[in-house]
Amino acid sequence: MADLSNLARMVEKGKHLEAAKLTKELLDQGMDPNQIILEGLQKGLLTLGELFKRNECFIPEVLLAARAMHAGMDLLRPLLVGTDAKPLATIVLGTVKDDLHDIGKNMVGMMLEGGGFRVLDVGVNVSPEQFMESVQKEDAAILAMSALLSTTMPYLKTTIEALKSNGMRDKVKVLVGGAPVTEEYAKEIGADGYASDAASAIDKAKELLGISA
Amino acid sequence: MKPRERFLMAIKHEEPDRVPQLIRLGRWVTERLSPIFGFSKEEQGAYMGEDLGPRIGNDAIVCQIGINATMETSVGNVADGETFTNEWGIVFKRLGGHNKPVKRPLAKKEDLDTYQWPDPKDPRKFVQIERVMKKYHDDYAIIVDLSSCLLEASYIHMARGSMEEFFFELYDDPDWVGKVLDGLANYYSALGTNAINEGVDVIRIGDDIGGQNNLLISPSLWRQLVKPRLGRMIQAFKRANPEIIVLYHSCGDFSLVFDDLIEVGVEFISTMQPTGAQADYGGIKKRYGDKLAFKGGLCTQQLLPNGTPLQVREEVKKLIRAYAPGGGYVFMPAHMVYEDVPTENIWAMIEALKDYGKYPIKICQA
Repeated sequence: MADLSNLARMVEKGKHLEAAKLTKELLDQGMDPNQIILEGLQKGLLTLGELFKRNECFIPEVLLAARAMHAGMDLLRPLLVGTDAKPLATIVLGTVKDDLHDIGKNMVGMMLEGGGFRVLDVGVNVSPEQFMESVQKEDAAILAMSALLSTTMPYLKTTIEALKSNGMRDKVKVLVGGAPVTEEYAKEIGADGYASDAASAIDKAKELLGISA
Repeated sequence: MKPRERFLMAIKHEEPDRVPQLIRLGRWVTERLSPIFGFSKEEQGAYMGEDLGPRIGNDAIVCQIGINATMETSVGNVADGETFTNEWGIVFKRLGGHNKPVKRPLAKKEDLDTYQWPDPKDPRKFVQIERVMKKYHDDYAIIVDLSSCLLEASYIHMARGSMEEFFFELYDDPDWVGKVLDGLANYYSALGTNAINEGVDVIRIGDDIGGQNNLLISPSLWRQLVKPRLGRMIQAFKRANPEIIVLYHSCGDFSLVFDDLIEVGVEFISTMQPTGAQADYGGIKKRYGDKLAFKGGLCTQQLLPNGTPLQVREEVKKLIRAYAPGGGYVFMPAHMVYEDVPTENIWAMIEALKDYGKYPIKICQA
Protein backbone atom coordinates (compact mmCIF):
# COMPACT_ATOMS: atom_id res chain seq x y z
CA MET A 1 0.00 0.00 0.00
CA ALA A 2 1.49 3.28 -1.11
CA ASP A 3 1.45 6.17 1.31
CA LEU A 4 2.96 9.64 1.37
CA SER A 5 5.49 9.01 4.10
CA ASN A 6 6.78 6.01 2.20
CA LEU A 7 7.14 8.17 -0.92
CA ALA A 8 9.02 10.83 1.05
CA ARG A 9 11.31 8.11 2.37
CA MET A 10 12.06 6.80 -1.13
CA VAL A 11 12.98 10.32 -2.30
CA GLU A 12 15.17 10.75 0.77
CA LYS A 13 16.96 7.50 -0.05
CA GLY A 14 17.37 8.57 -3.68
CA LYS A 15 15.37 5.65 -5.08
CA HIS A 16 14.05 7.23 -8.27
CA LEU A 17 12.39 4.13 -9.74
CA GLU A 18 10.51 3.43 -6.51
CA ALA A 19 9.56 7.12 -6.19
CA ALA A 20 8.02 7.09 -9.67
CA LYS A 21 6.20 3.83 -8.95
CA LEU A 22 4.75 5.09 -5.64
CA THR A 23 3.74 8.40 -7.20
CA LYS A 24 1.79 6.50 -9.84
CA GLU A 25 0.16 4.28 -7.23
CA LEU A 26 -0.92 7.29 -5.16
CA LEU A 27 -2.37 8.93 -8.25
CA ASP A 28 -4.26 5.72 -9.05
CA GLN A 29 -5.65 5.80 -5.52
CA GLY A 30 -7.08 9.21 -6.41
CA MET A 31 -4.78 11.40 -4.37
CA ASP A 32 -4.46 15.09 -5.26
CA PRO A 33 -1.24 15.69 -7.26
CA ASN A 34 -0.46 18.79 -5.22
CA GLN A 35 -0.61 16.81 -2.02
CA ILE A 36 1.70 14.17 -3.50
CA ILE A 37 4.20 16.89 -4.38
CA LEU A 38 4.08 18.76 -1.09
CA GLU A 39 3.83 15.93 1.41
CA GLY A 40 5.70 13.27 -0.53
CA LEU A 41 8.21 14.37 -3.14
CA GLN A 42 9.26 17.77 -1.85
CA LYS A 43 9.21 16.64 1.76
CA GLY A 44 11.72 13.89 0.98
CA LEU A 45 14.16 16.27 -0.67
CA LEU A 46 13.78 18.90 2.06
CA THR A 47 14.57 16.32 4.74
CA LEU A 48 17.80 15.54 2.95
CA GLY A 49 18.56 19.25 2.56
CA GLU A 50 18.36 19.57 6.34
CA LEU A 51 20.72 16.63 6.81
CA PHE A 52 23.14 18.23 4.34
CA LYS A 53 23.00 21.51 6.23
CA ARG A 54 24.12 19.62 9.36
CA ASN A 55 26.94 17.81 7.49
CA GLU A 56 25.06 14.52 7.94
CA CYS A 57 24.90 13.59 4.27
CA PHE A 58 26.92 14.32 1.18
CA ILE A 59 26.51 15.91 -2.26
CA PRO A 60 25.76 12.76 -4.29
CA GLU A 61 22.97 11.79 -1.88
CA VAL A 62 21.29 15.18 -2.35
CA LEU A 63 21.60 14.80 -6.13
CA LEU A 64 20.06 11.33 -5.97
CA ALA A 65 17.15 12.63 -3.89
CA ALA A 66 16.57 15.45 -6.36
CA ARG A 67 16.53 12.93 -9.21
CA ALA A 68 13.97 10.85 -7.32
CA MET A 69 11.82 13.92 -6.69
CA HIS A 70 11.93 14.75 -10.39
CA ALA A 71 11.01 11.19 -11.34
CA GLY A 72 7.73 11.72 -9.50
CA MET A 73 7.25 15.34 -10.58
CA ASP A 74 7.55 14.37 -14.25
CA LEU A 75 4.44 12.21 -13.86
CA LEU A 76 2.49 14.93 -12.07
CA ARG A 77 3.41 18.03 -14.03
CA PRO A 78 1.02 17.38 -16.95
CA LEU A 79 -1.81 17.01 -14.44
CA LEU A 80 -1.13 20.40 -12.88
CA VAL A 81 -1.68 22.37 -16.11
CA GLY A 82 -4.87 24.35 -15.77
CA THR A 83 -5.16 23.85 -12.02
CA ASP A 84 -4.54 26.70 -9.63
CA ALA A 85 -1.28 25.16 -8.44
CA LYS A 86 1.22 27.99 -8.68
CA PRO A 87 4.87 28.23 -7.70
CA LEU A 88 5.69 30.54 -4.78
CA ALA A 89 7.69 32.83 -7.09
CA THR A 90 10.20 32.75 -9.93
CA ILE A 91 13.90 32.73 -9.15
CA VAL A 92 16.58 33.38 -11.77
CA LEU A 93 19.68 31.41 -10.81
CA GLY A 94 23.20 31.41 -12.25
CA THR A 95 26.97 31.46 -11.68
CA VAL A 96 28.66 34.81 -12.31
CA LYS A 97 30.87 35.78 -15.22
CA ASP A 98 34.20 33.98 -15.67
CA ASP A 99 33.15 31.32 -13.18
CA LEU A 100 32.38 27.84 -14.52
CA HIS A 101 31.46 26.10 -11.27
CA ASP A 102 27.97 24.74 -11.24
CA ILE A 103 27.37 21.82 -8.89
CA GLY A 104 26.63 23.97 -5.84
CA LYS A 105 24.46 26.25 -7.91
CA ASN A 106 22.59 23.24 -9.33
CA MET A 107 21.97 21.90 -5.84
CA VAL A 108 20.55 25.26 -4.77
CA GLY A 109 18.27 25.15 -7.82
CA MET A 110 17.03 21.64 -7.01
CA MET A 111 16.40 22.55 -3.41
CA LEU A 112 14.54 25.77 -4.31
CA GLU A 113 12.36 23.76 -6.66
CA GLY A 114 11.78 21.32 -3.84
CA GLY A 115 10.80 24.31 -1.73
CA GLY A 116 8.06 25.24 -4.19
CA PHE A 117 9.74 27.91 -6.31
CA ARG A 118 9.96 28.06 -10.08
CA VAL A 119 13.67 28.15 -10.88
CA LEU A 120 15.10 29.42 -14.13
CA ASP A 121 18.72 28.28 -14.25
CA VAL A 122 20.66 30.51 -16.66
CA GLY A 123 23.87 28.49 -16.33
CA VAL A 124 27.49 29.48 -15.69
CA ASN A 125 29.71 32.38 -16.83
CA VAL A 126 26.65 34.68 -16.83
CA SER A 127 27.29 38.37 -17.44
CA PRO A 128 25.43 41.11 -15.52
CA GLU A 129 23.57 41.93 -18.76
CA GLN A 130 22.40 38.34 -19.18
CA PHE A 131 21.23 38.21 -15.55
CA MET A 132 19.27 41.45 -16.00
CA GLU A 133 17.70 40.28 -19.24
CA SER A 134 16.47 37.05 -17.63
CA VAL A 135 15.15 38.80 -14.52
CA GLN A 136 13.17 41.16 -16.71
CA LYS A 137 11.92 38.52 -19.12
CA GLU A 138 10.85 36.10 -16.38
CA ASP A 139 9.55 38.79 -14.05
CA ALA A 140 11.64 37.15 -11.34
CA ALA A 141 11.15 37.99 -7.68
CA ILE A 142 14.64 36.83 -6.75
CA LEU A 143 17.97 36.81 -8.51
CA ALA A 144 20.18 34.11 -6.97
CA MET A 145 23.86 34.27 -7.89
CA SER A 146 26.76 31.96 -7.11
CA ALA A 147 30.53 32.55 -7.22
CA LEU A 148 33.05 29.89 -6.27
CA LEU A 149 36.25 31.81 -6.82
CA SER A 150 37.62 34.74 -4.87
CA THR A 151 38.56 36.16 -8.28
CA THR A 152 34.97 36.04 -9.60
CA MET A 153 33.21 37.12 -6.39
CA PRO A 154 33.48 40.80 -7.42
CA TYR A 155 31.02 40.06 -10.26
CA LEU A 156 28.32 39.63 -7.61
CA LYS A 157 28.85 43.27 -6.80
CA THR A 158 29.16 44.29 -10.46
CA THR A 159 25.78 42.70 -11.18
CA ILE A 160 24.13 44.43 -8.22
CA GLU A 161 25.59 47.74 -9.42
CA ALA A 162 24.26 47.04 -12.92
CA LEU A 163 20.78 46.39 -11.49
CA LYS A 164 21.00 49.74 -9.70
CA SER A 165 22.11 51.75 -12.68
CA ASN A 166 19.34 50.22 -14.78
CA GLY A 167 16.66 51.08 -12.28
CA MET A 168 15.97 47.42 -11.49
CA ARG A 169 17.40 47.08 -8.00
CA ASP A 170 14.09 47.69 -6.21
CA LYS A 171 12.21 45.21 -8.39
CA VAL A 172 14.17 42.08 -7.48
CA LYS A 173 15.68 40.62 -4.33
CA VAL A 174 19.28 39.47 -4.62
CA LEU A 175 20.44 36.28 -2.94
CA VAL A 176 24.15 35.30 -3.08
CA GLY A 177 26.23 32.27 -2.16
CA GLY A 178 29.31 30.18 -2.99
CA ALA A 179 32.28 28.85 -1.03
CA PRO A 180 34.25 32.10 -0.54
CA VAL A 181 31.13 34.26 -0.06
CA THR A 182 30.19 35.24 3.48
CA GLU A 183 27.25 36.96 5.18
CA GLU A 184 29.52 39.94 5.77
CA TYR A 185 30.54 40.17 2.12
CA ALA A 186 26.91 39.89 1.02
CA LYS A 187 26.02 42.87 3.24
CA GLU A 188 29.01 44.85 2.03
CA ILE A 189 28.04 44.54 -1.64
CA GLY A 190 24.39 45.33 -0.97
CA ALA A 191 22.83 41.89 -1.51
CA ASP A 192 19.53 41.21 0.24
CA GLY A 193 20.51 37.81 1.52
CA TYR A 194 23.18 35.15 1.83
CA ALA A 195 22.82 31.40 2.26
CA SER A 196 25.61 29.02 3.16
CA ASP A 197 23.96 25.88 1.79
CA ALA A 198 21.13 24.78 -0.46
CA ALA A 199 18.59 24.13 2.30
CA SER A 200 19.23 27.51 3.90
CA ALA A 201 18.64 29.11 0.50
CA ILE A 202 14.96 28.09 0.70
CA ASP A 203 14.53 29.69 4.12
CA LYS A 204 16.29 32.83 2.96
CA ALA A 205 14.28 33.08 -0.26
CA LYS A 206 11.02 32.74 1.69
CA GLU A 207 12.18 35.29 4.25
CA LEU A 208 13.07 37.80 1.52
CA LEU A 209 9.60 37.50 0.00
CA GLY A 210 7.79 37.50 3.34
CA ILE A 211 6.49 33.95 2.86
CA SER A 212 5.99 32.12 6.13
CA ALA A 213 8.01 28.93 6.36
CA MET B 1 71.29 25.12 5.16
CA LYS B 2 70.29 24.27 1.62
CA PRO B 3 66.58 24.60 0.76
CA ARG B 4 66.36 20.89 -0.09
CA GLU B 5 67.75 19.83 3.27
CA ARG B 6 65.42 22.26 5.07
CA PHE B 7 62.37 20.98 3.18
CA LEU B 8 63.14 17.28 3.71
CA MET B 9 64.04 17.72 7.38
CA ALA B 10 60.72 19.41 8.05
CA ILE B 11 58.75 16.62 6.35
CA LYS B 12 60.63 14.10 8.52
CA HIS B 13 59.43 15.92 11.64
CA GLU B 14 62.74 17.53 12.46
CA GLU B 15 63.30 21.22 13.10
CA PRO B 16 65.49 22.80 10.41
CA ASP B 17 66.84 26.38 10.61
CA ARG B 18 63.50 27.83 9.61
CA VAL B 19 60.04 26.79 8.40
CA PRO B 20 60.36 25.88 4.73
CA GLN B 21 58.21 27.59 2.14
CA LEU B 22 56.47 26.59 -1.07
CA ILE B 23 54.25 29.32 -2.47
CA ARG B 24 52.61 28.50 -5.79
CA LEU B 25 51.71 31.46 -7.93
CA GLY B 26 49.02 31.53 -10.59
CA ARG B 27 49.83 32.56 -14.12
CA TRP B 28 48.96 36.26 -13.82
CA VAL B 29 50.68 36.71 -10.48
CA THR B 30 53.78 35.14 -11.99
CA GLU B 31 53.60 37.67 -14.79
CA ARG B 32 53.12 40.48 -12.28
CA LEU B 33 56.04 39.51 -10.03
CA SER B 34 58.53 38.36 -12.67
CA PRO B 35 59.74 41.82 -13.76
CA ILE B 36 60.61 42.62 -10.13
CA PHE B 37 63.21 39.84 -10.34
CA GLY B 38 64.37 40.71 -13.82
CA PHE B 39 62.55 37.98 -15.76
CA SER B 40 61.05 38.95 -19.08
CA LYS B 41 57.75 37.43 -20.17
CA GLU B 42 59.61 35.18 -22.62
CA GLU B 43 61.95 33.89 -19.93
CA GLN B 44 59.04 32.69 -17.82
CA GLY B 45 58.34 30.15 -20.55
CA ALA B 46 55.62 27.57 -20.61
CA TYR B 47 56.33 26.36 -17.09
CA MET B 48 55.26 29.16 -14.89
CA GLY B 49 57.28 30.18 -11.95
CA GLU B 50 59.91 27.45 -12.22
CA ASP B 51 62.69 30.03 -11.81
CA LEU B 52 60.64 32.59 -9.93
CA GLY B 53 59.83 30.23 -7.02
CA PRO B 54 63.40 30.02 -5.72
CA ARG B 55 63.71 33.79 -6.00
CA ILE B 56 60.75 34.38 -3.68
CA GLY B 57 62.22 31.94 -1.17
CA ASN B 58 60.62 28.61 -2.09
CA ASP B 59 62.52 25.54 -0.91
CA ALA B 60 61.04 23.12 -3.45
CA ILE B 61 60.09 23.13 -7.12
CA VAL B 62 56.98 21.46 -8.50
CA CYS B 63 56.74 19.77 -11.91
CA GLN B 64 53.14 19.07 -12.84
CA ILE B 65 52.57 16.12 -15.19
CA GLY B 66 49.09 14.77 -14.40
CA ILE B 67 45.76 15.39 -16.04
CA ASN B 68 45.57 18.92 -14.54
CA ALA B 69 48.77 19.98 -16.30
CA THR B 70 46.57 21.03 -19.19
CA MET B 71 44.74 23.44 -16.94
CA GLU B 72 47.70 25.68 -16.28
CA THR B 73 50.41 25.00 -18.83
CA SER B 74 49.61 24.23 -22.45
CA VAL B 75 47.19 27.09 -22.90
CA GLY B 76 49.59 29.70 -24.24
CA ASN B 77 48.11 29.90 -27.73
CA VAL B 78 44.46 29.20 -27.04
CA ALA B 79 42.20 32.22 -27.31
CA ASP B 80 39.14 32.69 -25.12
CA GLY B 81 36.20 30.71 -26.46
CA GLU B 82 38.39 28.34 -28.54
CA THR B 83 38.67 24.61 -27.94
CA PHE B 84 41.63 22.22 -27.86
CA THR B 85 42.14 18.50 -27.25
CA ASN B 86 44.80 17.09 -24.95
CA GLU B 87 46.56 13.72 -24.81
CA TRP B 88 43.72 12.22 -22.77
CA GLY B 89 41.24 12.97 -25.53
CA ILE B 90 39.54 15.61 -23.40
CA VAL B 91 38.23 18.59 -25.37
CA PHE B 92 38.60 21.81 -23.40
CA LYS B 93 37.09 25.19 -24.06
CA ARG B 94 39.02 28.22 -22.87
CA LEU B 95 36.59 30.43 -20.95
CA GLY B 96 37.43 33.46 -18.85
CA GLY B 97 41.01 32.33 -18.24
CA HIS B 98 40.05 28.76 -17.28
CA ASN B 99 39.61 25.53 -19.19
CA LYS B 100 36.22 23.87 -19.14
CA PRO B 101 36.09 20.25 -20.30
CA VAL B 102 33.38 20.19 -22.97
CA LYS B 103 33.90 16.63 -24.18
CA ARG B 104 34.89 13.85 -21.83
CA PRO B 105 36.49 10.68 -23.19
CA LEU B 106 34.33 8.38 -21.03
CA ALA B 107 31.05 10.24 -21.47
CA LYS B 108 29.28 7.02 -22.43
CA LYS B 109 29.89 3.97 -20.31
CA GLU B 110 30.85 1.80 -23.29
CA ASP B 111 33.62 4.31 -24.16
CA LEU B 112 35.67 2.65 -21.44
CA ASP B 113 35.93 -0.60 -23.46
CA THR B 114 37.84 1.07 -26.30
CA TYR B 115 39.54 3.96 -24.48
CA GLN B 116 43.26 4.35 -25.13
CA TRP B 117 44.89 5.52 -21.91
CA PRO B 118 47.75 8.01 -22.42
CA ASP B 119 51.31 6.67 -22.58
CA PRO B 120 52.96 6.87 -19.13
CA LYS B 121 56.34 6.95 -20.91
CA ASP B 122 55.42 9.93 -23.12
CA PRO B 123 58.76 11.81 -23.23
CA ARG B 124 56.97 15.19 -23.22
CA LYS B 125 55.97 14.52 -19.61
CA PHE B 126 59.60 14.31 -18.51
CA VAL B 127 61.17 17.31 -20.28
CA GLN B 128 60.59 19.69 -17.38
CA ILE B 129 61.55 17.12 -14.74
CA GLU B 130 64.88 16.44 -16.46
CA ARG B 131 65.64 20.14 -16.84
CA VAL B 132 64.69 21.02 -13.27
CA MET B 133 66.60 18.03 -11.83
CA LYS B 134 69.76 19.12 -13.62
CA LYS B 135 69.46 22.77 -12.74
CA TYR B 136 68.08 22.69 -9.21
CA HIS B 137 68.21 19.28 -7.54
CA ASP B 138 71.54 19.89 -5.79
CA ASP B 139 69.92 22.69 -3.84
CA TYR B 140 66.14 22.31 -3.97
CA ALA B 141 63.64 19.53 -3.26
CA ILE B 142 61.87 18.39 -6.42
CA ILE B 143 58.19 17.45 -6.29
CA VAL B 144 56.39 15.74 -9.14
CA ASP B 145 52.69 16.52 -9.08
CA LEU B 146 50.34 13.92 -10.58
CA SER B 147 47.11 15.88 -9.95
CA SER B 148 44.35 15.01 -10.40
CA CYS B 149 44.45 11.29 -9.97
CA LEU B 150 41.31 9.33 -9.10
CA LEU B 151 37.95 10.74 -8.05
CA GLU B 152 38.67 14.32 -9.15
CA ALA B 153 40.06 13.22 -12.51
CA SER B 154 36.84 11.25 -12.99
CA TYR B 155 34.35 13.91 -12.02
CA ILE B 156 36.09 16.87 -13.63
CA HIS B 157 37.70 15.49 -16.75
CA MET B 158 36.87 11.95 -17.66
CA ALA B 159 33.69 10.24 -16.78
CA ARG B 160 30.11 10.69 -17.96
CA GLY B 161 28.71 13.98 -19.20
CA SER B 162 28.99 16.01 -16.00
CA MET B 163 29.95 15.89 -12.34
CA GLU B 164 26.32 15.11 -11.45
CA GLU B 165 26.10 12.22 -13.88
CA PHE B 166 29.34 10.78 -12.53
CA PHE B 167 28.08 11.12 -8.96
CA PHE B 168 24.96 9.15 -9.91
CA GLU B 169 27.18 6.31 -11.16
CA LEU B 170 28.81 6.08 -7.73
CA TYR B 171 25.48 4.59 -6.62
CA ASP B 172 23.96 3.29 -9.87
CA ASP B 173 27.01 1.42 -11.15
CA PRO B 174 29.90 1.34 -8.68
CA ASP B 175 31.51 -1.52 -10.62
CA TRP B 176 31.88 0.71 -13.67
CA VAL B 177 33.26 3.53 -11.50
CA GLY B 178 35.71 0.98 -10.09
CA LYS B 179 36.92 0.16 -13.59
CA VAL B 180 37.44 3.85 -14.41
CA LEU B 181 39.38 4.30 -11.16
CA ASP B 182 41.42 1.15 -11.93
CA GLY B 183 42.41 2.61 -15.31
CA LEU B 184 43.47 5.87 -13.65
CA ALA B 185 45.31 4.09 -10.83
CA ASN B 186 47.20 1.88 -13.31
CA TYR B 187 48.18 4.83 -15.47
CA TYR B 188 49.28 6.97 -12.53
CA SER B 189 51.15 4.11 -10.86
CA ALA B 190 53.23 3.78 -14.04
CA LEU B 191 53.61 7.53 -14.59
CA GLY B 192 54.60 8.13 -10.96
CA THR B 193 57.07 5.24 -11.03
CA ASN B 194 58.72 6.71 -14.12
CA ALA B 195 58.95 10.10 -12.43
CA ILE B 196 60.41 8.55 -9.26
CA ASN B 197 63.06 6.84 -11.41
CA GLU B 198 64.22 10.33 -12.43
CA GLY B 199 65.34 10.76 -8.81
CA VAL B 200 62.75 13.23 -7.52
CA ASP B 201 62.16 13.66 -3.77
CA VAL B 202 58.40 13.85 -3.41
CA ILE B 203 55.50 12.45 -5.40
CA ARG B 204 52.31 14.44 -5.06
CA ILE B 205 48.96 12.71 -5.47
CA GLY B 206 46.21 15.27 -5.90
CA ASP B 207 42.58 14.32 -5.70
CA ASP B 208 40.05 16.91 -4.56
CA ILE B 209 37.62 15.14 -2.26
CA GLY B 210 36.93 17.97 0.18
CA GLY B 211 34.19 20.57 0.06
CA GLN B 212 34.05 23.78 2.08
CA ASN B 213 33.14 22.05 5.36
CA ASN B 214 33.03 18.33 4.67
CA LEU B 215 33.93 15.59 2.19
CA LEU B 216 32.22 15.73 -1.19
CA ILE B 217 31.22 12.07 -1.01
CA SER B 218 30.59 9.93 2.03
CA PRO B 219 33.67 8.51 3.77
CA SER B 220 32.28 4.99 3.45
CA LEU B 221 31.92 5.33 -0.32
CA TRP B 222 35.42 6.82 -0.54
CA ARG B 223 36.78 3.92 1.51
CA GLN B 224 35.07 1.42 -0.73
CA LEU B 225 35.94 2.90 -4.13
CA VAL B 226 38.96 5.18 -3.83
CA LYS B 227 41.06 4.16 -0.85
CA PRO B 228 42.18 0.70 -2.10
CA ARG B 229 43.25 2.18 -5.44
CA LEU B 230 45.12 4.99 -3.72
CA GLY B 231 46.85 2.36 -1.59
CA ARG B 232 47.87 0.42 -4.70
CA MET B 233 49.38 3.54 -6.28
CA ILE B 234 51.38 4.29 -3.15
CA GLN B 235 52.67 0.70 -2.98
CA ALA B 236 53.89 1.04 -6.58
CA PHE B 237 55.69 4.27 -5.69
CA LYS B 238 57.33 2.72 -2.63
CA ARG B 239 58.46 -0.25 -4.74
CA ALA B 240 60.21 2.18 -7.10
CA ASN B 241 61.87 3.97 -4.17
CA PRO B 242 61.13 3.01 -0.55
CA GLU B 243 62.36 6.46 0.53
CA ILE B 244 60.01 8.41 -1.73
CA ILE B 245 57.83 10.85 0.20
CA VAL B 246 54.14 10.63 -0.69
CA LEU B 247 52.30 13.93 -0.51
CA TYR B 248 48.51 13.82 -0.77
CA HIS B 249 46.61 16.96 -1.68
CA SER B 250 42.96 17.84 -1.59
CA CYS B 251 41.31 21.22 -1.49
CA GLY B 252 38.61 21.75 1.11
CA ASP B 253 38.14 19.94 4.41
CA PHE B 254 39.08 16.27 4.04
CA SER B 255 39.98 15.65 7.68
CA LEU B 256 37.39 12.84 7.91
CA VAL B 257 39.81 10.54 6.07
CA PHE B 258 43.19 11.60 7.53
CA ASP B 259 43.43 8.31 9.44
CA ASP B 260 42.72 6.37 6.24
CA LEU B 261 45.38 8.31 4.36
CA ILE B 262 47.91 7.48 7.07
CA GLU B 263 46.90 3.84 6.82
CA VAL B 264 47.66 3.62 3.07
CA GLY B 265 51.08 5.25 3.45
CA VAL B 266 50.56 9.00 3.08
CA GLU B 267 53.01 10.93 5.26
CA PHE B 268 52.58 14.51 4.06
CA ILE B 269 49.32 16.36 3.24
CA SER B 270 48.30 19.68 1.75
CA THR B 271 46.89 22.32 1.44
CA MET B 272 45.03 22.49 4.75
CA GLN B 273 42.23 24.86 3.68
CA PRO B 274 41.27 26.52 6.98
CA THR B 275 37.55 25.68 6.82
CA GLY B 276 35.37 23.08 8.53
CA ALA B 277 37.29 20.94 11.03
CA GLN B 278 40.58 22.13 9.50
CA ALA B 279 40.01 25.63 10.86
CA ASP B 280 41.29 24.26 14.17
CA TYR B 281 45.02 24.19 13.33
CA GLY B 282 46.05 23.31 16.86
CA GLY B 283 43.61 20.42 17.10
CA ILE B 284 44.72 18.98 13.76
CA LYS B 285 48.41 19.21 14.71
CA LYS B 286 47.76 17.61 18.08
CA ARG B 287 45.74 14.74 16.67
CA TYR B 288 47.74 13.92 13.53
CA GLY B 289 51.04 15.79 13.92
CA ASP B 290 53.13 12.74 14.85
CA LYS B 291 52.10 10.85 11.71
CA LEU B 292 51.52 13.57 9.13
CA ALA B 293 53.52 16.57 7.97
CA PHE B 294 51.39 19.48 6.79
CA LYS B 295 51.75 22.03 4.02
CA GLY B 296 49.50 25.04 3.54
CA GLY B 297 46.82 26.64 5.66
CA LEU B 298 46.81 30.35 4.84
CA CYS B 299 43.33 31.43 3.77
CA THR B 300 43.07 32.29 0.08
CA GLN B 301 39.30 32.76 0.08
CA GLN B 302 39.11 35.84 2.32
CA LEU B 303 42.39 36.83 3.91
CA LEU B 304 44.90 36.96 1.06
CA PRO B 305 42.70 38.75 -1.49
CA ASN B 306 40.77 41.00 0.92
CA GLY B 307 42.77 41.28 4.14
CA THR B 308 45.36 43.89 5.09
CA PRO B 309 49.10 43.14 5.25
CA LEU B 310 48.86 43.31 9.06
CA GLN B 311 46.08 40.73 9.13
CA VAL B 312 48.15 38.50 6.84
CA ARG B 313 51.13 38.76 9.22
CA GLU B 314 48.98 37.84 12.19
CA GLU B 315 47.57 34.76 10.49
CA VAL B 316 50.99 33.56 9.32
CA LYS B 317 52.12 33.87 12.94
CA LYS B 318 49.12 31.85 14.12
CA LEU B 319 49.77 29.10 11.58
CA ILE B 320 53.44 28.82 12.52
CA ARG B 321 52.63 28.71 16.23
CA ALA B 322 50.18 25.84 15.69
CA TYR B 323 51.82 23.78 12.97
CA ALA B 324 55.57 24.38 13.07
CA PRO B 325 56.84 23.26 16.53
CA GLY B 326 58.74 19.98 16.21
CA GLY B 327 58.91 20.29 12.42
CA GLY B 328 56.33 18.70 10.15
CA TYR B 329 55.25 21.95 8.53
CA VAL B 330 55.84 23.66 5.20
CA PHE B 331 54.37 27.11 4.87
CA MET B 332 52.04 27.73 1.93
CA PRO B 333 48.73 29.42 1.22
CA ALA B 334 45.76 27.03 1.05
CA HIS B 335 45.70 27.31 -2.73
CA MET B 336 47.64 28.89 -5.56
CA VAL B 337 47.92 32.65 -5.26
CA TYR B 338 45.63 34.18 -7.87
CA GLU B 339 45.49 37.59 -9.47
CA ASP B 340 43.11 39.03 -6.89
CA VAL B 341 45.84 38.96 -4.23
CA PRO B 342 47.59 42.34 -3.88
CA THR B 343 51.38 42.25 -4.15
CA GLU B 344 51.66 43.84 -0.68
CA ASN B 345 49.88 40.83 0.85
CA ILE B 346 52.22 38.41 -0.94
CA TRP B 347 55.14 40.34 0.51
CA ALA B 348 53.56 40.52 3.96
CA MET B 349 53.20 36.73 4.00
CA ILE B 350 56.80 36.13 2.90
CA GLU B 351 58.17 38.67 5.39
CA ALA B 352 56.07 37.30 8.25
CA LEU B 353 57.42 33.83 7.55
CA LYS B 354 60.97 35.18 7.72
CA ASP B 355 60.23 37.00 10.98
CA TYR B 356 58.35 34.28 12.85
CA GLY B 357 59.48 31.09 11.13
CA LYS B 358 62.96 30.69 12.68
CA TYR B 359 63.55 27.59 14.79
CA PRO B 360 63.18 27.19 17.65
CA ILE B 361 59.74 28.75 17.29
CA LYS B 362 59.30 31.46 19.91
CA ILE B 363 55.85 32.93 19.56
CA CYS B 364 53.89 33.64 22.69
CA GLN B 365 50.17 32.95 22.83
CA ALA B 366 48.33 36.09 21.77
